[in-house]
Formats: sequence, C-alpha cells, structure tokens
Amino acid sequence: MREPALRVFAGEYNEATHQVGGEGEKEPSYILTPLGAMVNRLFIVGVLTDVENVSAEGDMWRAHVSDPTGIYAVYAGQYQPEAAAFLAEADTPSYVAITGKARGYEPEPDVLFVSVRPEVIWEVDSQLRDYWILETSRHTRQRIEAVEEARRMNPPSRARLTEIGYPPALATGVVTALQAYPDVDLEHYRFLLREALSHFSAGKISTSQEIDEAEEAVLALVRDCEGDDGALWDEIVERGEEQKLERTLVEEALTSLMDKGLVYEPILGKLKTT
Amino acid sequence: MADEKEDVDSIVDDVMTSLGDEVSRDQVKKKLQTFLDYGVPLDQARQAVLKKFGAGSAPAGLTTKKLAEVQPGDRRLQVTGKIVAIEKWDVEVRGEQRTIFRGLIGDDTEVLPFTAWKDFGLQSGDVVTLKNAYANEWSGQARLNISEWTEVSPAEVSIQLAERTPQRFKVIDLRPGLSNVEVKGKVLSLEEREVTVDGDSKKVYTGLLGDPSGKIQYNAWHDFGLQENEVIQVSGAYTKSWRGTPQLVFDERATVKKLDEKIATEDIAQRPVSLYKVVEGGGGVDIIMEGSVIEIQSGSGLIERCPQCNRAIRDGICVIDGEVTGQPDLRIKAVVDDGTGAVTAILDREMTEQMMEKTMEDYRRLAREQGEEAVDREIQQRLMAHPIRVTGNALADDYGVTVIVRDATLIMPDIAAESQRLLEELEVTE
Repeated sequence: MREPALRVFAGEYNEATHQVGGEGEKEPSYILTPLGAMVNRLFIVGVLTDVENVSAEGDMWRAHVSDPTGIYAVYAGQYQPEAAAFLAEADTPSYVAITGKARGYEPEPDVLFVSVRPEVIWEVDSQLRDYWILETSRHTRQRIEAVEEARRMNPPSRARLTEIGYPPALATGVVTALQAYPDVDLEHYRFLLREALSHFSAGKISTSQEIDEAEEAVLALVRDCEGDDGALWDEIVERGEEQKLERTLVEEALTSLMDKGLVYEPILGKLKTT
Repeated sequence: MADEKEDVDSIVDDVMTSLGDEVSRDQVKKKLQTFLDYGVPLDQARQAVLKKFGAGSAPAGLTTKKLAEVQPGDRRLQVTGKIVAIEKWDVEVRGEQRTIFRGLIGDDTEVLPFTAWKDFGLQSGDVVTLKNAYANEWSGQARLNISEWTEVSPAEVSIQLAERTPQRFKVIDLRPGLSNVEVKGKVLSLEEREVTVDGDSKKVYTGLLGDPSGKIQYNAWHDFGLQENEVIQVSGAYTKSWRGTPQLVFDERATVKKLDEKIATEDIAQRPVSLYKVVEGGGGVDIIMEGSVIEIQSGSGLIERCPQCNRAIRDGICVIDGEVTGQPDLRIKAVVDDGTGAVTAILDREMTEQMMEKTMEDYRRLAREQGEEAVDREIQQRLMAHPIRVTGNALADDYGVTVIVRDATLIMPDIAAESQRLLEELEVTE
C-alpha cells in the first residue's frame, strides 16, 4: 500500500529524534515527530533557498527548502536523477513542491538528523505555497489536539482516539510519541502554528501583481514628494495609506524599489529616485 | 509493551502453580525474561518455560469461559462453540505470505469473530472445544485467536446459537469482511436479476444504497419487496469485496425494516471522504475525494492503445497482440494525496481534455512541434501540487486504490479567509 505523504512543517519535522518501524524487510520505517506524525513520505511546498553540490564526484546535491517555521534539508543523488537534474539548474529563490521520502541519520542514540529525499520536485507559484501552509496548519492543529486528547486518557489509547475520529495512523503515532517524547511542549507547537498562519499577515496575501502595482504607485509617490532633499519615509507610508495601500505593502515596495536601484536613501529616513 | 511487563508477574505465578516447589521463582522469572528479551511472545515464552522445567506441554491453568465472558487480553482460554462461518485469507505477516482462516464461532451466549493462524480443518457447523486460545480486540470487540499452541478437538454437544446484537455502521465505514452489520440508507437504485447458484436459478436484487456518508453496492438474496427511494434499515447483513469495492450482502436470515423517513438525494454522499477511509475501506462507489496532486505518473499524456485489446502499448508492441498499429489516446494518472491516504486518479481522454481545456488533437500537434515532453510539462504545470476534487468509483487491490474519475475540478479555497478563521479558532481554544 502506498504510504501517504504527510504535511508536516519543518519546525516539527526537524524536532524528531525517534524512528519507528523498519524492522521486517517489508515493514516501512517512519520518522516519528513529537506530535505523533509517522512520516515515511512527505509533501512540501516551500522556497528553495540554496543548492550546493556536496560530493566530489558531483552527483549529490543538497538543497534547503524553507517554510514559515524552519528549513528542510533535501538531498538528491544519482538514484534521483530527475530531482538532481532539477536542483542542478534551479533558480534560487523559487517556489518548489516536493514529494519525497523521509530520511533519518542517527550518528549516536537520541541524535537524529532528518532530511528529505525527493521523488518528485516541481516549480510552483506562490498561491500553491500559500495553500500548502494552510493545509499543513490544519494537519498540525489536528495533531496538537490529538496529543491533548491522548494526554487526558489514562492510559492513552489508540482505540479511543480512533473512536473519536482520529485516523488510525495518527492515533498510533500519538500514543507512540507520548512515550518517546514524554515532555513535549504543546505551547511551542501552538506558537509555531500561529507563526505559520500569521504568514498571511492580517489576512492579506500580496500577489505579485499587487506588489507590481504597489511599486509603481509608491515610486510615483516618492517622485511627488522628493523635492531636492528627498521624501520622508513616514510621509510616503502615510500618503500610501491615503491611497488604500497597506503599510506593510508600501514598505515592501520601498525595499524592493531600493533593491532594484530605482530608489535610494541619501540620508537615513529620506528617499530619492535615481 | 506496558501490558507485557505487568503480565510477566502473573505468568510467573501461574507457572509456579503448575511446577510446584521444584524450582525457585527467581529461576522461572529469569528464564521467562530471557525468552521475552529474544522477542518471543508471552504465551509462547510461558510454554517454553514450562517445558524447560519439566511440566510437559499440557497447557496449565486454563480458564473455561462462555463466549460472552471473553474479554480482549484473555489468555489460556478454554471455550466450546460452533463454527458459524469460516473463510480462508491470504495475508502478509512480517513480510511473509501466510494462509489464515477467519470466521465466527458461537455458543448460547455470544457469537465472536475468530482467527485461526493455521489450518485446523475447521468447517462451518463443526462444534469444537478450544484449549489454550487467546483473545485480542478487533473493531471494538473481542476476537478469539486459535494459534499453533491451541488444542482443537470435536465436542459432542449441541449448541443453540445466541442472537447476536448487530453492529451499527455508517455506509462509508463498511469495509469488506464484516458480519452481522446493521445499516440504514436509501435505496438509490434497484435491479432484479436471475442467477444460477449450484445449478438452481435464484433471484437477486442489486443496486446502490446510500446515506449522508456514502454509497455502497448491495446484493439481496431474498425478495424483501424493496422499492427505489425508500429508506430501509438492514440488520444481520455482511460485507465482502466485489470487483474492488465493498459490497453489502443480505439474505432471508437478515431483517429489513422499511422506515417512515426521507433522505433527500442531495444529502447523500455529498461530502468529500478522507482518503485513509477510502484506502482502509477497500474502495467504494461514487466517492467524492479531495487532496493535492503530488505526482503525475508515467503513462500520462499522449499514449497509444492496442486496437484489439485496448491495452496501453509502447513502441507499437502490445504485450498480448504483438506488433500493432496503435490508436492514439490521452489520459492522466495522478496521485492524489490528502496527507492521510493516497489514491491514483485516472482521467480518461474526455476528463483530461476538460481538465486541460485542450483537445487531444491540440496535444498531438504540440507533440509534433515540440516533442511529447511538452505535453507532459503542460499537464504537470497545471496539476502538480494543486488541490483537486475528484468523484468516481474507487477500486482497491493489493497495490492500492485506483479511482476511475467521473468528475474532476481544481479547487482553491479563499486562503486568507480560511487561515484567518483557523487563527481565530486557535485563540478561542486556548
């Protein structure tokens, strides 16, 4: 049976220090996270931040993929030729989707380095990344709740968890995780979840088109106000708000315009066009 | 594991009673622990220790129980009952193919499911005494296990079987292999057919039964006077796997109650089903599923089919019919995964054309101009990582679940609003 691809934030995945299963020849092995996700395969959408060739022969690539909570380590070598070829030519930063296998390396007991070995990797757009964050948030919340429920039981029972509607694989994972990680701090994961969701700050998602439009408007504002001495940063933000542009969006646009060399800051707090 | 530790002491006590004062408790405990450390199951370890210290192989300390008294976790049971049903199953245990037998055993107090881990030659109708059986939990009730260490002997008693309380299910939770099922639903379709069973001609009534959770195929081997659109409650039915989906079967031993209620058609199976349920439930009829496309499998895009057998062929060679002139076709095989389970969704030419908003001819042109990779790239670009809703029959086999897609739509919720709502819910629960 095909193993499902779990949705787990890097912040949770990287905290895993236990592996389970994998004893029989055909028994799958899982990375067990502190919230009870049993990860054999996972599906990630995030930002590819860097790619590095890490073998002398030139056939092993290490990449980092970032989500709002942390960074996944991704390795692709000669047995993942398509993924390796993709990484070798990929632009950074770019949005990527990865379906991959969970890998754990245990140099000594209780120390586990987790990574992802891609089966499929594809470039996507920011909307699909945002959708993934939403979906992964839902899964994370379900795990937090399942751990809470299980803690109220004495002893935690897999059967009882499935009875109240948790998927059997999660119920098994949660009961196992409570033994493996008796001191798991749920508050930490709630914080992580809020961090991930606040990615959509105040419920606004800026599409690239919105940003382009904002940049144009902000550039016009700077031209309008700059005079000989330059425009005050705060004034631009205020005038932007009058035009119904959010403060964050104006600031983002200003930063971007400076990166592009269209606007510069002759003295701190003042802006001029080039 | 925790259970096992508590059990060690009680097993040691038990072994001590059958051994008398010949050995010390410490010796027994140490020996037992050694077996357990080697991963020998508790029951077998106990037998091994008994043998070691000379108590012979006669199972000591058996508890005789009526089936209604059997609890999950009971060991060293002696029970007498009648085999009500038995079925052979091929299963994989720790990577090894094994043949086991599952069925029902009953006495005057209860009918319980059992698993026999080897062939004892049991037949439906046999009355037997089982010595040294054990019980575990299955689907919320006790299940008897007849293992290598169980002694099975015929019993000379007549048994009046207990009426079993049927177990109630929602349609979506029905999976193959259940017995004594109670389910309520609306008769969505009904067809009367004549079939030949063991040389006799019999009437069978088949169709679809549905409730808000899902739909299932049914087979009624008795004329219950079923009518389309009425709501019925069936008690004492069983389920099996039929052509890759679960099927509800009931005959004259079952009762069918006609209920004075209505279920509107638009309330039947309208909500998407979690994919783990589809996978564990052994497929199903006309299921709505949602997940993300996490892989486009090879064999998607432009393909060729054998004009004789319709199989997909490669390089003009059909595995059955040899060299043929392939017929062009278009399809998508997408792995749809919701994080709990995964299915392979097959979109035929029509579904693919609708999903991609292009015709097969458009793609053949594109392939001629830019190669077939260009077609694959377009499909991947549109679908990869995208959430999708598919409806269709889900067929299960040993390798997984394949969905023959009847309807497919790319979906995208209002991400900002949904995440805002989730944030607010988080604030409330804390």
